[in-house]
Amino acid sequence: MDVLLQILIFLVLLTLGYLMGSYFEKRHYKSIRQREQQTRHIPLVTFGAKQHLPETDDAQLFVGSVVISIDYFKRISAALRNLVGGRITVYESLLDRGRREAMLRMKEQGIAWGATQILNVRLETATIGGRSGNNNGLGSIEVIAYGTGVRS
Amino acid sequence: MNYVPKEIPEGINVTHRHPLVNFAYLLGTVVIVSGLIFIVLGFVASYLATRISPETEEKIGQMLIHIVSEEEIEDDQRISYLDELLNSLPEPAEKIRLPLKVHLLKSEEINAAIMPGGHVLIHTALLETVKSENELALILAHELGHFQARDPLKGLGRSLVLMVVSAVLGISTSKSGGISEIVSFTSGLAELSYSRKQERAADLYGLAKIINRYEHGGYSLDFFRRLAEEEVRVLKLSKYFLTHPLSEERIKKLSIAAQERQWKMNGDFTPLPEWLLCPDMEECEKL
Repeated sequence: MDVLLQILIFLVLLTLGYLMGSYFEKRHYKSIRQREQQTRHIPLVTFGAKQHLPETDDAQLFVGSVVISIDYFKRISAALRNLVGGRITVYESLLDRGRREAMLRMKEQGIAWGATQILNVRLETATIGGRSGNNNGLGSIEVIAYGTGVRS
Repeated sequence: MNYVPKEIPEGINVTHRHPLVNFAYLLGTVVIVSGLIFIVLGFVASYLATRISPETEEKIGQMLIHIVSEEEIEDDQRISYLDELLNSLPEPAEKIRLPLKVHLLKSEEINAAIMPGGHVLIHTALLETVKSENELALILAHELGHFQARDPLKGLGRSLVLMVVSAVLGISTSKSGGISEIVSFTSGLAELSYSRKQERAADLYGLAKIINRYEHGGYSLDFFRRLAEEEVRVLKLSKYFLTHPLSEERIKKLSIAAQERQWKMNGDFTPLPEWLLCPDMEECEKL
């Protein structure tokens, strides 16, 4: 009975993780696409660190950051992948969402301020939980996007 | 220079593969591979177990018997009775590699077991449940069958293998999440079918010894019959997770085997000694 119960809990968590995880992912992607379309008139560029910036009246730093957690289904898939090796496809979409969401948040702040373009854009990723300590229940990523918004 | 926004490309950094397909592929690989590893190493362990010398086995047995020594009842006349009954079962020509020793344990659980080194463990609850000597003798002969087939040593070897494999893979640690569950479940299932095979062989051996001793198999299956009535209440699904075959199945298999070998399956009832339930003689005097 003990074994049965364990398997049952495992399957329930896995199903819940998959259903909720893919629902949230779909909804997130829909929102990302829509907002990217709305904000695509403002260029994001990576130059600016050692190049001359265009002549502008005003400049300001904008930071967009997002934290996304994996779901149980992704965790089990990735752990299985750890045993055999190869691309962890379930994490690719997670990171893709993180990067795009972080950039959108930065861009939206810039637009609200009145930026005409955002220069010297950088992206950084950090893991939260999962790696440190024994707590394997928490595995999430933080993606930070930052850049210099200019307006003239 | 004018900035003209372009169409935003989609899905550059994401592999287009359905997560469920991906998961099924991974699960299949891990289950098959861990099952194969376990089966192969299990056979190696069983093979090595058959090569352990009786002296080494005795030492292993002495180390393991300490685990149960706390509940053990010593200096009881029931032990000498069980000893006598057990030793009357093998045929004179049959070679028993180590002297068998009966240990009586105070326990509410109806159970009997064999440990490496020829230690037969009998729970007191079992003695309270059996109704005839024929039944008790079949249980003892079943355990003797395990001993003769070196099943306890093989079991020990196999569990050592499982421990080593999981230690090497690092799956026994909590870091890997559900993976240890998947791997241990696979190996558990592989182990179950193996242990059921052993149980059937021990059953058959046991019945053969009973036929030899009493010249018939009557009453000896009554214990299983009573167990079968109990098991009807057990959830149907859980039978896949039992280490022993269901009692009803055991009775069926044994009856078929008896028919094939033309064993006589009815005969006289051999009663248990009256003092078996009251070893101190006090309770019996009251009756």
